[in-house]
Amino acid sequence: MRRAAFLAIAAVALLALAELALPQVLNRYYATIGVRILVAVLAATSLQLVNGFTGQFSIGHAGFMAVGAYASAALSVYLGAGWLEALQSVLPQPLARLAYFPLPLLAGGLAASLAGLVVGVPSLRLRGDYLAIATLGFGEIIRIAILNVDAVGGARGFALSAPAGVDLRYEGLGMIGAVVVLSLLVMARLVYAPGGLAFRAVREDEIAAEAMGIPTTRVKVEAFVVASFFAGVAGALFAHAEGYVHTNSFTFVRSFELVAFVVLGGLGSFTGAAIAAAGLTAAPELLRGLGEWRMILYSVLIIATMILRPQGLLGSRELSLARLRRRPGTAAAGAG
Amino acid sequence: MSGDLLVLDSVTVRFGGLTAVSALDLRVGPNELVALIGPNGAGKTTAFNIITGVYAPSAGRVVFAGREIGGERPHRICRLGIARTFQNIRLFAGLSVLDNVQAALCGGQRSGVADVLRGPGWRRRQQEHAARARELLAQLGLERFAEARADSLPYGEQRRLEIARALATGPRLLLLDEPAAGMNPSEKEALRGFIARVRREFGIAIVLIDHDIPFVMNLCDRVAVLDHGEKIAEGAPEKVKRDPRVIEAYLGADGAHA
Repeated sequence: MRRAAFLAIAAVALLALAELALPQVLNRYYATIGVRILVAVLAATSLQLVNGFTGQFSIGHAGFMAVGAYASAALSVYLGAGWLEALQSVLPQPLARLAYFPLPLLAGGLAASLAGLVVGVPSLRLRGDYLAIATLGFGEIIRIAILNVDAVGGARGFALSAPAGVDLRYEGLGMIGAVVVLSLLVMARLVYAPGGLAFRAVREDEIAAEAMGIPTTRVKVEAFVVASFFAGVAGALFAHAEGYVHTNSFTFVRSFELVAFVVLGGLGSFTGAAIAAAGLTAAPELLRGLGEWRMILYSVLIIATMILRPQGLLGSRELSLARLRRRPGTAAAGAG
Repeated sequence: MSGDLLVLDSVTVRFGGLTAVSALDLRVGPNELVALIGPNGAGKTTAFNIITGVYAPSAGRVVFAGREIGGERPHRICRLGIARTFQNIRLFAGLSVLDNVQAALCGGQRSGVADVLRGPGWRRRQQEHAARARELLAQLGLERFAEARADSLPYGEQRRLEIARALATGPRLLLLDEPAAGMNPSEKEALRGFIARVRREFGIAIVLIDHDIPFVMNLCDRVAVLDHGEKIAEGAPEKVKRDPRVIEAYLGADGAHA
């Protein structure tokens, strides 16, 4: 895990470099797709924590993305624009922006985790299908509630408009990537630790977990709140990259998409969910040349994966350098 | 009274109109091995479920180590020092054998923040945990399965692992719900030796449920017999075996006359 931390720091440094270099190489179209992929990866991996690792089937995750998106956007528009302007008057512009943008992300995450707590405490008493339906319902309730708040634009959507000289949009791929990598590291460390076994124990057998001294209700709520936090961060990234949010981006269709990423990637695998999220977000764009055939091919891709790999792309394993290197050794041990 | 680890004081459990356990008195001393036997539906597992907090007693008191625990949540009761196994094995099937034990070892005292930050000492603590889990597996003869998935183990070893997992929580009282279920005579014999060893090496009290008297005969200090939710006999196995009410419960009234 120390190696993982090192790798993560290296990745962040690399991404910071990419931040400077990428705009020279990528045109806007690719940059936008890049952001969407990163947002999808973060949202899918956060849902993986609940669905794949804790075994609680939630299908309303887009609701928490919406909370994060709108809370961060509101903060930026009503307070942040002034703060950013003040920061820019004392710091060089890139630094001022770097200092400011973690704030709305954090605010979006915190608002979403609060929503996760409020939704999670009553719904996590339910199991299986009942929990799924409850989360679906809450996801829609959140969306419709936001749709009716005039302060964030209501049905018109909410643009991140700011006074001249202040740009509330942030679409730097490098730093967005860094946020996603750091978030993944936090979630992976939480799960892949002796204490994190509690999540998987709850997934495997809740009654046995409780009997072994694991406070199952708390563990479930914890997973839900942490997942909501990172869904909120994903929503905040999305809002600030697009510069405009609308509740239509967070319908149950989006929630189902996230569930599809998680299941296709393999329940209980962060890297699997990330790969599926990236692949399936990019696929419609890559298939664009096929015209009207592309949605059919997209569906075929999903069906084929489910037939060929019913346990998901990676099953419950993680893709890691250590595993790839170890593989021959493990095979020998298995044969012996 | 003062010397007893576990005291059930006229505990009653009702589910609607059905009285599953009626005014049950039971005492278990430290390091005592008590068997709870009785026909199907006698209320044996219900008694376990009350002790471990799955159900709250409708009436009566459950006292463990001088502390009333009736109605506490199961995970709290586990942390107070009562661990159990299940009639139908409930392992963390998809986890490795080692992780099953580790989950029980540190699932109750986890800190997500410490796991994320991984400050100084975290790695050492983690290694200590793993070492303790391996030690426990070695003690119970399961170390060669450490990396295997729990559900890939042979049946008898799964039972053993369930006991190992329960022991990992550091109990003073271990409840075994039909540990011999589905075993052939030679496996049962091995299990008897295993249970006796666990009691000796861990110095804990054990209550075990079984159907038949022969299994518990030379193993237990004391046998309590339940029938229709009531305790109909209690005492040394030899004595209980000859009790007419016990014979009646097992063979029916005619059998008792025959």
